[in-house]
Amino acid sequence: MPSSRAGAWRLPRWPPRLPRQRAALGFGSSATPPVTYVLVGIAIGPQGIGLLSSEALGNLDALVSIALAALGVLIGFGLGAMARRQAGGLLVSATIEATITIAVVAGALLVLLSRWGLPLPIDVRVFAAMLGLCACASAARRVDKAAGTEASRAARIAELDDLPLVVLGGFTVAVLGGQAGAGLDLLLTVGAALMVAAAGWLLVGRARNEAEHGVFVAGAIVLLAGTGAYLDSSPLLGGLVAALVWVWAPGHVDARIGNDLKSHQHSLLALLLIVAGASIQWTIALLWVAASLLLFRLTGKLVAGAVTARVAKLPPHQLARALVPPGVIGIALALNLQQVFDASDTLLLSAVTVAAVLSEALANMLGLDAATTPEES
Amino acid sequence: MVRVQTTSLVPGAARGGAFLLIIAMMFFIQRLAPGGGVGLVLALGFSLIAAGLLGEAADRIRLPRLSGYLLFGLLCGPYLLNLITASMARDLQIVNAFAIALIAFVAGLELNLTRLRPQMRPMLIVGGLTLLGGLAALTVLLWVAWPWLPLPDPGPPVSRLAAALVTAALIVSFSPTVSIAVIAESRARGPLSELTLAIVVMADLALIFVFALAMQLARWAEGTGAADISLLALLSWEVLGSLAFGAIAGALFAFYLQHVHRALTLALLALCALLATLSPAFDFELVLSALAAGLVVENIAPPAGDRLKDAVERGALPVLIVFFAAAGASLQLDALAAIGWTALVLAAIRLGLIRAITGRAVRAAGLPAFPARLVWMGLISQAGVTLGLAALVAAEFPTWGAAVQTLVLALTGLHVLAGPILFRAALARAGEIGQLKAAAPAAANSPT
Repeated sequence: MPSSRAGAWRLPRWPPRLPRQRAALGFGSSATPPVTYVLVGIAIGPQGIGLLSSEALGNLDALVSIALAALGVLIGFGLGAMARRQAGGLLVSATIEATITIAVVAGALLVLLSRWGLPLPIDVRVFAAMLGLCACASAARRVDKAAGTEASRAARIAELDDLPLVVLGGFTVAVLGGQAGAGLDLLLTVGAALMVAAAGWLLVGRARNEAEHGVFVAGAIVLLAGTGAYLDSSPLLGGLVAALVWVWAPGHVDARIGNDLKSHQHSLLALLLIVAGASIQWTIALLWVAASLLLFRLTGKLVAGAVTARVAKLPPHQLARALVPPGVIGIALALNLQQVFDASDTLLLSAVTVAAVLSEALANMLGLDAATTPEES
Repeated sequence: MVRVQTTSLVPGAARGGAFLLIIAMMFFIQRLAPGGGVGLVLALGFSLIAAGLLGEAADRIRLPRLSGYLLFGLLCGPYLLNLITASMARDLQIVNAFAIALIAFVAGLELNLTRLRPQMRPMLIVGGLTLLGGLAALTVLLWVAWPWLPLPDPGPPVSRLAAALVTAALIVSFSPTVSIAVIAESRARGPLSELTLAIVVMADLALIFVFALAMQLARWAEGTGAADISLLALLSWEVLGSLAFGAIAGALFAFYLQHVHRALTLALLALCALLATLSPAFDFELVLSALAAGLVVENIAPPAGDRLKDAVERGALPVLIVFFAAAGASLQLDALAAIGWTALVLAAIRLGLIRAITGRAVRAAGLPAFPARLVWMGLISQAGVTLGLAALVAAEFPTWGAAVQTLVLALTGLHVLAGPILFRAALARAGEIGQLKAAAPAAANSPT
């Protein structure tokens, strides 16, 4: 029986208190680690109890596209909020950090995968580059005011490193999956997003009632998702472009759409992560690739943190602490890539998802949340 | 309240501009990337915004919103602009069962038995006479006129009679879905709405029996099957089972409303998904199940306040838009072109018959002439159920069934376009449009 006296042996608290974190740029923070939903997906998926069959997963593809577009819009709104706080310098730092992480992870994996000669669904160079891209996302832990401006700036860099991933990911998806040629597909995705954004700007705020407002917002998001699905391009990128138009257009359309989306953000996130978890195919190759990805991501983040800390004039340990938790954008991009690949082989999505779960566990085990406190005003 | 102006643009111009932008976007995407990937989500988003805007424009010129949605589907569908391709139109029908469940549930919510009890007898008389009178008159007419119609000869007179009966059962059928949707979207309440609702629901129920009996007669006449005594048991299972299943689902939802009452829109959509998924699995009639669920909620555990109505309004609008846009895009214009004149003549005869029979039935039932004599205008619509039954006929009687299916496709196309317009005009003449919203506060204040 544990004693309550000071110095006496105590049982570790259960459930452990986890830090609040944002799943992605533009998201509200949550105490539930997003990867929890991945575990739910693994449990109910075809290789778990089978509640979510392979056929049902295929039917959820349309909803996944919609969730990706909504995620892109939320990231765009988050970027807009950052821009209002004049975070241009931090964006440069985040881009440097993301570039270094991608280079380290992709380079190391390319060497390793080429030597192993694993059967991969696509060319080994593209596969390694995709894994590098998906590995660069970080989830910012929520910091309180007492933690100081350095911790706050480090957290913002961790949030902003989602942006290069969405933009580069959009290009990559267009190149890999394009219907009308990569350049034209990219142009069509961005052009369509601009037109949907303009239509949304004209409509939202002029609704006659709540129901019509809901139809306009849902219609715009679904249309962004539909463009991506039709062109086999990135709904994430389309959502981001439309959101940036809404942020910079007059009339506070971003606030109105953001209010609607934020009430559904956790459901959308849960859908994406449950689908990702349920799509995991457990193979020996997966274990090798996921373990390598975990290791190289950690290395890449530490190296990128050390370099970026000089540019951003931050203590390297502070930045590293913010960069290690993985976030969900990498999984979202992997899901998007999975949509344009042959759906029968999910090695890339499986590896990214498993590595994200392990990275999250690693971040908690290493006590990287030690400096966080419950709430920020 | 979200009605805030974002710019100084006139709302009509802004909506028009948005509509053109969306059309232009679809045009460019399809021209520059023909034969693209999955089109379902694209068609869904396109329909939500563009059909929603056209529905609103229809409302401005005092047409039913759903005529706007149908018109959108027709214009942008495979036969005209082809912005919604044939495969997209087919994919969009994924929402059909869900939409029918929602629409029928809303209808159930409108059927307060305490309020309707005094009118039950006259409603039964009008409904019964209209259905049986229409069926008998059309059967005789088709039997006599069959040789002159562009339909293959079914054979001896008995076979022709059976074919005429099956075809008449298809032609005389009504669309509860469309009638209920018109009542719901125009927020109508009053004697005409209630009478029409009662007749279409009753007719839908009776049609299951009438059609099954007609098919059995046709099988016997064609020598393709003996009279089956298990038929009645199957029909009873379908009707009684549907009502029981719907009542259980409604009771569970009522329990949720009373004790949990959170996330009502989501719970309502989940209920409709449950009904839409499980009803076909047990061979239940979806409209009846969902209607029974609504009836139980309204009559056993009516929710306090407007929260359920608000949830219905929020959840129903996008579902109705997509459902009717998909219906418009799926209209078989080629069938209309192939058999157009025959369809037009038959549609005119059907309209005249319904008008004449309901006029007499209203007098026989002792109902006040106004607004009951307008009820024929609510009975013109036909939609999905009729098409489904026609497909069964075509599959079972290939010699004459396929031509009957084409005829029914053409007739349904005409009726689904004209029916809502006529019914809304009737509701407007009866002064019932918008009365639901006006009645809600009064009901809330009245002693229980």
